Amino acid sequence: MSTTSGKAAAPVAGARGGGPGTAPSPATGSEDGREGPDGRRREHGRGRKRGLGVQNWAGWLFSTPFLVLFTVFMAFPIVATLAMSFTDFGLRNVTRPWEANFIGFENYTKLFGDEKFLTALFNTGYFVVIGVPLTLFLGLLVAVLLNNGIDRARTFFRVGFYAPVVTSIVAVAVVWRFVLDPSDGLIAGLCAELGLTAPDFLGSETLAMPSLIAMAVWRNLGTVMVLFIAGLQAIPTEVREAAKLDGAGAWQELRRITVPLLRPTLLYATVITTIGYLNVFEEPFVMTQGGPSDSTLTVSLNMYREGFNFFHMGYASAMAYVLFVVIMGITVLQLRLLKDNTK
Amino acid sequence: MHRAARTASVAIALATAFAVTACGSSAGDEVAADKKQTLTVWAMGAEGEKLAEVAEKYEKANPNITVKVTPVGWDVAHQKLVSAAAAGKLPDVAQMGGSYLGEFAELGVLEPVDTKTFDKKDFFPAGWQQGEVDGTSYGVPWYVDTRVLYYRTDLAKKAGVGKPPADWKGLRDMASALRDKGDGKWGIYLQPRGLDTVQSFYPFLYSAGGEIVDGDGKAAFDSPATVKALKEYGAYMKDGLSMKSSQPGYDPLKDFNTGDVPMFFSGPWISTLIKDQYPGLKGKWGVAPVPADKTSTSMAGGSSLVISKDSPHKAAAKEFIQHLTDTKGQADWFERTSDLPANTKAWESGELADNPDLQVFKKQMETAKTSPALAKWTEVTSKVDAAIESVTQGKASAEDAAEKAQSEIENLVK
Repeated sequence: MSTTSGKAAAPVAGARGGGPGTAPSPATGSEDGREGPDGRRREHGRGRKRGLGVQNWAGWLFSTPFLVLFTVFMAFPIVATLAMSFTDFGLRNVTRPWEANFIGFENYTKLFGDEKFLTALFNTGYFVVIGVPLTLFLGLLVAVLLNNGIDRARTFFRVGFYAPVVTSIVAVAVVWRFVLDPSDGLIAGLCAELGLTAPDFLGSETLAMPSLIAMAVWRNLGTVMVLFIAGLQAIPTEVREAAKLDGAGAWQELRRITVPLLRPTLLYATVITTIGYLNVFEEPFVMTQGGPSDSTLTVSLNMYREGFNFFHMGYASAMAYVLFVVIMGITVLQLRLLKDNTK
Repeated sequence: MHRAARTASVAIALATAFAVTACGSSAGDEVAADKKQTLTVWAMGAEGEKLAEVAEKYEKANPNITVKVTPVGWDVAHQKLVSAAAAGKLPDVAQMGGSYLGEFAELGVLEPVDTKTFDKKDFFPAGWQQGEVDGTSYGVPWYVDTRVLYYRTDLAKKAGVGKPPADWKGLRDMASALRDKGDGKWGIYLQPRGLDTVQSFYPFLYSAGGEIVDGDGKAAFDSPATVKALKEYGAYMKDGLSMKSSQPGYDPLKDFNTGDVPMFFSGPWISTLIKDQYPGLKGKWGVAPVPADKTSTSMAGGSSLVISKDSPHKAAAKEFIQHLTDTKGQADWFERTSDLPANTKAWESGELADNPDLQVFKKQMETAKTSPALAKWTEVTSKVDAAIESVTQGKASAEDAAEKAQSEIENLVK
């Protein structure tokens, strides 16, 4: 896996588990490896008969466990959710699903008149617009510093910045609540030393969201940092040396060598961070429950509430699909904008 | 293409339906109570762990029965029960919080209570009512709880208040005295906003004579009594007697210990927590009935025991529930857990009869009101939460908040 054309992103995506890059590879891998570049096309045509021989039989056999799991846990729920989003599936349908009524696009049209959903959509947008650039910028900064500057304590800092990524959100919440607690938290204590009163971060409608963004940035910085470090280390030293010989300073090296060569990693990091933040759920769920006054209600949290607290399963499914379309649209846009600039 | 997609989605919904019902209709034949069998029981939180001890004793007395108790965390209980109901895999006996019963009755997965075996008269009315849905009873009350006023007696003395407050005015005066002359930052803790603020609001609402939904199941939130209660509640935040914002899951006990929050409303379990966590508070706190407006009426909660409709062990399940809810079983349960017995006869002896603090709970329980068992109750209370929040945050007048919530609740209960 690590030999894939020097693209640093691929192995890390695998390590992250469940990332977008991991799912298809086991399915296609066995066929592609055997049949060569045109193997797949042959299967559709006349080659099919021959393909039922031992070779293909073995391929299908080995991919069966994955295919079964994929169908049961991915494909079926995805399609069922879509079907559900056109019905009024509610609590009583949990035991009597055949009583759910087909209501066409009613759930979808209702969504755009739903004040809560629109608030949630706005809040999620706010989270992404502030959170993604911050995470990427700080992640890159830390990665560059760790890659160039500190030599001795590099491992220490790398682990330090990565620790939040692997810490359970519940433990993180305990720490952050202590930090932000307005009466006896860390910031409140520091403020008191200086004779100031600390703001009530999570209780204020204007500060609650920025506080959650800060927490999310802190928590996701490590992922992005690791991506960037891997990307930086994949840049051949010869290129850097050549640039130095040509008289490039540190700034020029960063601008002309590092950033352009890092573009694939940058693209990947942007896309996964954006997707992650569009789905943001844990931070508001454990810290604020969407409050105060819905100021931290995100689309995912709203969906969870409608679905599992109020049992508006059909409605929640429609929300899931709207979110899906939003995510897909933004991802496609990002790929278009960022990919072809180098050529 | 359009039509094909539509057909496909309907087909899939149907496929799901069949898959689910296939699992659901697995009810076997009934097994008599004296046959050898295994009873599966789900209980939540602390109850789940203690129940295993009781079950062990029960097995010794009834060797033909094996009781398998599964403790379920409260945080996952609801989800687990719903998915079990959907799959037709509910345990024979389950503990259910009052707020769940409406939902599960609606799902049609509960066996109605045999009223010949379990007599309504033996239980607190509020305890019994929480198991009743449209006149049919689905749950036998297991334990009850109600909210009373906890206050710091030492700080009250220091502030010059000898007796606990009897009415709303008394409570407000006492809160001011405690804040100004005691050591506290606040006079009292009333949850200002967020999930389940309504629980903190019930003592005010019910004492003023207000209701969220009336006896006929119609929305009744927009009443002068509600407006009065909302105004009173909001006044505590407006006057700085209670904090205007608190974090989700805030527990006033720590601040009760320091004196920052010298009063709050809560249930019986808090007594045990104070004794365990803050032994230094011994002799410095007390409980008092809810201060009255028209009446002194608190909210009632607690848990009931239900039998699954699909269970093949209904007869044995009934006997096990009988064992848990009769006078002896209830007194024994109180000793193990400090959960207040739902069976009123259990209160006639021992600590339950002698301890004056427990008598406060008993008296409050006799008049306490339970929230109606409606399928959409969580959604209804979320609207009430929002109404209270808009008042405590000074965003809406009590009148406007009540009116808005009323129209939202009307859409939900109809």
